[in-house]
Amino acid sequence: MSALWHPAIRADWLVLQRTGAVAFVRIIGVPALLLAGCVALACGDFYGGYGWCLAASTLLALGGSYAIAHARLLEALERWRFGWCGALPVARGATAATLLLVTAVALLVLLALVTALLLAVSVSAPHRADLAYALAGIDFALVVGAATAAVRALHAGARARHADGIREPLFALPWLNDPRLPHLFDWQRRAALVRWRRGGSFVMVGVVLAAVPDGPSIPMVVALVLLVLSWSWLAMAMRASADAAAAATCLLGATPLAVDCARMASFRYPAIAASCAVVPMIAGAMLTGHGAIALAWAACAVAVSAWPFLRILRATRRPGRPA
Amino acid sequence: MTALLRTTGLRVAYGDMRVLDGIDLEIARGEFVALVGPNGAGKTTLLHAVAGTAPLCGGNVDIAGHDLAKAPRAAKQAIGLAIDPPSLPALLTGRECLALFAGARGLPAIPQATLALGETLSLIPVLDRRIASYSLGMRQKLGILLGLIGEPPLLLLDEPFNGLDPRSALAFKSHIVALVAKGDTSVLLATHSLDMAEHHATRVVLLMDSYVRRSWDADELAAMREHPGLSLEKAMADACGS
Repeated sequence: MSALWHPAIRADWLVLQRTGAVAFVRIIGVPALLLAGCVALACGDFYGGYGWCLAASTLLALGGSYAIAHARLLEALERWRFGWCGALPVARGATAATLLLVTAVALLVLLALVTALLLAVSVSAPHRADLAYALAGIDFALVVGAATAAVRALHAGARARHADGIREPLFALPWLNDPRLPHLFDWQRRAALVRWRRGGSFVMVGVVLAAVPDGPSIPMVVALVLLVLSWSWLAMAMRASADAAAAATCLLGATPLAVDCARMASFRYPAIAASCAVVPMIAGAMLTGHGAIALAWAACAVAVSAWPFLRILRATRRPGRPA
Repeated sequence: MTALLRTTGLRVAYGDMRVLDGIDLEIARGEFVALVGPNGAGKTTLLHAVAGTAPLCGGNVDIAGHDLAKAPRAAKQAIGLAIDPPSLPALLTGRECLALFAGARGLPAIPQATLALGETLSLIPVLDRRIASYSLGMRQKLGILLGLIGEPPLLLLDEPFNGLDPRSALAFKSHIVALVAKGDTSVLLATHSLDMAEHHATRVVLLMDSYVRRSWDADELAAMREHPGLSLEKAMADACGS
């Protein structure tokens, strides 16, 4: 292995090969969903000529690529700096070079895929002229999102481990905690918060606003921001909750934990998070002026984001066994 | 004596690798059984198989008269597994983690006895800190408290003295010896500390090559303690064939 590259990359590659298809699906699952969301949104302009869908897909690509790249780069940086290979004599700049190379390769694959998908879905579209805008917008957004994430992650990487501080909630609502399994709610909430911060948190609002092209009215911009942010929060909170619930049932495996008790306690936080996310999503949908279509889109977004509920069901079916 | 734990023909494998193959083990109430053996012998796996956190390929585990496979809740009411330090949730505080385990055991709050042991182990001052900021020793102490919460009759301990300072190790050793002496609690301890096994256990079981290779009962252990020429270390070396 060349001294130019971080030695952990070879170990990671071996682990990936040995874990098999599940590991690959985990890696490509979220980016694939992002691309599908962007292309599906762009279809609204190709086939419906609504005019705002391309802007929304550009925003989604920007926010999504930023959040995914930022979270994954921070995770890799933390693992490489504080994990088993943290004490290895790694050449200066090798960590950054390796991560930038991996990001660039992933980005090239994503660009190729999104371009192919956009070309495929627009072949017989009545508004095919929008293809050039879609290609330029989404591709550009993916590159800018990933590049910003790489710069920020590499800058913050050294103190990443100490940036996970937990603050108490602004409004302490102790009744939200399930007394049969106290603090599982806190565990899920903190896991979601840590993940949200890693994905960029409220910096996203500024990034999204800065990327809105000229033309759309203020209510439209607000609507897009509400839709994109509430969806990304919901998807992230669901995944974090499922991971925490699976870890908790594994941790409590040797205790006489009742299945229904584990299930009720595990569903409480994601259910409340979903209820909270649906409110701005509906508000955003109404502000677009295409209420019915936007609401249908929001309903699909919620349905897609809710898949971690299945993971919670599976994890709590037999407490103590890995999900 | 009534068996609190009975394993019959217990088999566990990870993929093609056989870790436990036909383990028959009985532990009576008030017994202190030390599980010894070389690295990779299957000591930790046996504890997890008894706790219901490792998948069995065959055999049965019966705890306090309840089959672990058929009545896992009733069986698990009778066991307390000390949690491995790396498995502790970094995002919770020690107190929150104790409350979570108390809830899982159906207790309304953290029992006073658990907090008293926490005080003995000097863990109380850090209980409201996040587990992420704990040292190895603090995590080990918390893992022990989580296993002992609710005073289950069968304690499953895997190298619980790792990382403990001498004062805490002595306090915890005295605590489990006192619990066993009362006659209500049994202990299954996986350890490499032959001194602990020889001086405090009522039975020592040598696990090797997926089988129970040899066991020493209370009389044999007493003889080892009395005769300077005998020791568990020597007996174990003989049994291992080296």
